[in-house]
Amino acid sequence: MRSTWVAALATVAVAGGLTYLDASASSSDPGFDPVRSLGFAVPFATVGLLVLGVLVGTSEFSTGNFRSTFVAVPRRLSVLAGQVLAMTVFAALVAVLAVGSSVLAILPSAASRGITPDLGGDGVLRNLIGSVVLLSGTGLVGAALGAWVRRPVAALVAAVGICLVLPMVLVLAADLVTDPLAASAAGGSSAPESPLETFARFTPTGAADSLLWREGGALQGVLVLAGWVVLPLTAAAIRLSRRDLV
Amino acid sequence: MISSDPRPPAVTGHRVTFVRVLAAEWTKLSGLRWMPWLMTVTVVAATVLALVLSLFARVGTPALELTTSGHLAAQLGLLALGALIGSGEFSTGTCRSTFTAVPRRLPVLMAQMLLTAGIAAVTATLALVGAHLATADHQGFPALGTEPSQTLRISVGFVLQLTLVALLGLGTGALVRSPAAALTTLVVLFVVLEQFLVANPGPVADTVRALTPGSGTRLFADQTGLDDLAAGAGPELGAWGGGAVLAGWTSLVLLAAAYRLRRHDVT
Amino acid sequence: MIEVEALTKRYGTTTAVDGVSFTAAAGMVTGFLGPNGAGKSTTMRMIVGLERPTTGRVTVDGQRYADVAAPLRVVGAMLDARSMHPGRTAHRHLLALARTHGIPRSRVEEVLGLTGLESVAGRRVRSFSLGMGQRLGIAAALLGDPGTLILDEPVNGLDPDGVLWVRGLVRDLAAEGRTVFLSSHLMHELALCADRVVVIGQGRVLADATTRQIVERSERAGLVRVRTAEADALLVALADRGADVEVRTDGSLHVRGLSVEEIGSTAARIGAPVLELAAETGSLEEAYLQLTAGSVQYRSGRTLGGEVSR
Repeated sequence: MRSTWVAALATVAVAGGLTYLDASASSSDPGFDPVRSLGFAVPFATVGLLVLGVLVGTSEFSTGNFRSTFVAVPRRLSVLAGQVLAMTVFAALVAVLAVGSSVLAILPSAASRGITPDLGGDGVLRNLIGSVVLLSGTGLVGAALGAWVRRPVAALVAAVGICLVLPMVLVLAADLVTDPLAASAAGGSSAPESPLETFARFTPTGAADSLLWREGGALQGVLVLAGWVVLPLTAAAIRLSRRDLV
Repeated sequence: MISSDPRPPAVTGHRVTFVRVLAAEWTKLSGLRWMPWLMTVTVVAATVLALVLSLFARVGTPALELTTSGHLAAQLGLLALGALIGSGEFSTGTCRSTFTAVPRRLPVLMAQMLLTAGIAAVTATLALVGAHLATADHQGFPALGTEPSQTLRISVGFVLQLTLVALLGLGTGALVRSPAAALTTLVVLFVVLEQFLVANPGPVADTVRALTPGSGTRLFADQTGLDDLAAGAGPELGAWGGGAVLAGWTSLVLLAAAYRLRRHDVT
Repeated sequence: MIEVEALTKRYGTTTAVDGVSFTAAAGMVTGFLGPNGAGKSTTMRMIVGLERPTTGRVTVDGQRYADVAAPLRVVGAMLDARSMHPGRTAHRHLLALARTHGIPRSRVEEVLGLTGLESVAGRRVRSFSLGMGQRLGIAAALLGDPGTLILDEPVNGLDPDGVLWVRGLVRDLAAEGRTVFLSSHLMHELALCADRVVVIGQGRVLADATTRQIVERSERAGLVRVRTAEADALLVALADRGADVEVRTDGSLHVRGLSVEEIGSTAARIGAPVLELAAETGSLEEAYLQLTAGSVQYRSGRTLGGEVSR
C-alpha cells in the first residue's frame, strides 16, 4: 500500500532530519557530546511507527481484501499469525533504518567539532538497541489495535489516545499532585513511588522509559510493551475466529 | 422532432439556495450512526478525565484548572469529528451525488462549516459542564472561580478553542480527502509538536510554540498559566492572541480546502 | 438536449477524451458505446461539471451545467452506483438530495415507488446488492423530474426483470420528450433501446449515426460462412473477386465483402459443391467490434473460437 511506504519513508527521514538539527544546534555548546542527540527524534519516530502499524493492521479490512485472503486460507488464526510475523519484520526493518539514520545524522556535527562519537559508551548501546525494540514494538501495538478495531480512524484515535495523549495526562496529573509538603512529610528524596508513577510504568510510554533509561528496568519495559501488543491481538484473534467475516 | 418539454412537471421545485443546502447537509449528518456515539464518548472521556485528575489533585487547586483538564480528551474527539466530516464526502464517493446536485460546490463546504461548528460547540459545552459537575463538590472546592470575568473568559475560551479545532479538522479533512491522513497530520501538529516543544523550552521553541495552532489553548489558560507563558522567551500573546493564531491557521486550511474544491475535479 | 463541442480532457500526458463532439437530442435515446476505458464516464462527468474539460465546451439545454439554477430539475445523472455513503439509508440519501432543491418528501417516496425500492428504503446502502444500488442511482436521477437523463451503464448488475424495466423506462422517458443519454458496453442492449448510437474508442468518436445505419454498415461488411468440398478452389475464386477469406480449422471459409448470392454463384461457376452457406447477420455487436478493433484499451490475450489461419 502506498500510504504504508510513505509513512515508513517519512519516519526514517524525520528521524534523521530531526537528529541532525538537534546535533547541529547543540554543536556550538562547550560540553557537546554528539551521542546525546541520538534519542532526540525517537518520540517522533514513534508516531510514525504507530501510524504505520495502524495502516497495516487495518489495510486488509478496510479494503475488503480480507475476503479473498480468508477464502484462500480458511484457517484464520494462522493467517493472523503470519500477518503478525510479517509486520514484526517490517516494523523492525523500519526501526533499524530510523535509528540508523539518526546515527548517521550526528556524524556531520561530530565531525565539525572533531569528535568521534563513542557508540559503545555508557548506556548508548542500550539506548540504540532499546530504541529499535521500542519502535518495533510501537509498530506492533498500532497493528494489533488496527487488527482488533478494523476501522482506521477509530484505531488511530485509540492508538494516539493511549500512546500520546495518556502521557500528557499523566504529566498533568503529576503537576496537580506535586505538593512540596507531602514530599517532605514522606521523608524527602527517598520517597516511595507514588501510585501515579507506578501506573505510568504500565503505559506504553512508561515502558519506553523503563526500557531506555531506568536502572534495571529494561526487562520490565519489554514485558509491558509486549503486553500492549498481545492484549489487542488476542481480542483481534477472538473477533476473527468467532464472528462472520462480512 | 418532439418538443423538449411537453409533459407536466411532476415537481415544481425551486432553485438551489444556501438554506436548502444547509438542510440537506444536516439531513446527511444526522443520519450518521457514529456521530452521536463520538459526541457521547468525547463528553464522557473529558468528564471522566477531569474526575480522575481531581482525585489526585492536591487541596487548593483552582476549580477551573480541574474543569478544563478534560481538554485533552475532548480535543482528540473533536479533531476526529472535523476530519471525518470533512473527508466523508470524498472517502465514500458521495461527493459525486452531492456536487452534481450543487455544482457551485462552495455552499456545501460552508454548510459543513456551520454544522461542524455547531456540533463542536455543543459537545465542548457539554464536556465543560460535565467536568464541572464531576469536580465541583470534590474535596470542598468552590463551585466556580472567584472572579466572574476570568471564569467567563476561560469557559468561553474552552468552547471557542475546541470549536476552532474541529473546524481545523474539517478543513484538513476536506483538503486531503482521507480521514486517516487528515487525522495523522492533525495529531502530529497538535499533540506531538506541542508535547515536544513543551519538553524542550528555549527561545526558538517558545516562538514556534506561540505560532502553532496549539497556541489556541491559551484561550482557556488561567492567569498563572498565562503569566508563565509570558515569562518564557516567545512573543507575548495572551489569551486572545493565542486564539487569533489558531483562528488564522483554521482560516488558512479552510481557504485551501475551498480552493481545491472549487478549482479541481471531484472524483 | 446535450451539446458537446470538441471536448478534450488531459491528465498530465494521458488524453482520456480527445476532441469529442456530438449532440444528444430530445425525444430520443442516444446510446454511448465503447470499450472499457474509452472515455465514456469521463465525458459524462464533464457534462455534469464534476470534471473540468481541458478544452472544448458542453452545454445542456444551451446552458453550462454550473450556470443552471436547479441542476437536478434539468439533468438527472446516474454516474456510479457507489456514489452513496454506505452507512446511510436509501431514503435518507434521496431526501438529502431532494432538500438541496426544496423538492418535497412526497417526491422521494414517489421515485422509490417508481424504482421498486419502497420495501428497502429504510435499509442502509451497504446492505444493498449491485442491482439495488443501480436502482437507487436511477431513483436519484429521476428525483427532480428532469428533462435530460444521463445514465452510465444503467443495466449493470440488474437481473433480467430489471433489464427489461430499464429498457422500458428509458423508452417511455424518451417518448415523453426527454433527452436520454445512456452508456453501455453491452452492444445488444443498446441495439434494443437506443435510437442513435455514438461509438467512442480511445477518447475519440468513431461513429455517430442511427442504430439502423450502424447495423446496415456492418451488414455490408458482414460475414458469410461457406462449407464446401473444394475449399482451395473456392478460396482462389473468391479472392479473385476481391473478397476477404479466412480458412477456419474445421475447413469452412469465412468470407467478407461479398453477399450470399455472389458467393453462391461463384461456387456454382467453378463447380464446387456447397455444403453450407449462411450469413452471420450484421449486428450492432459486429459493427462495434469492427469499429473498435483498433482501439480496445484492455484486451485479453486469447482470441475466441478456434485458431484462425490465412
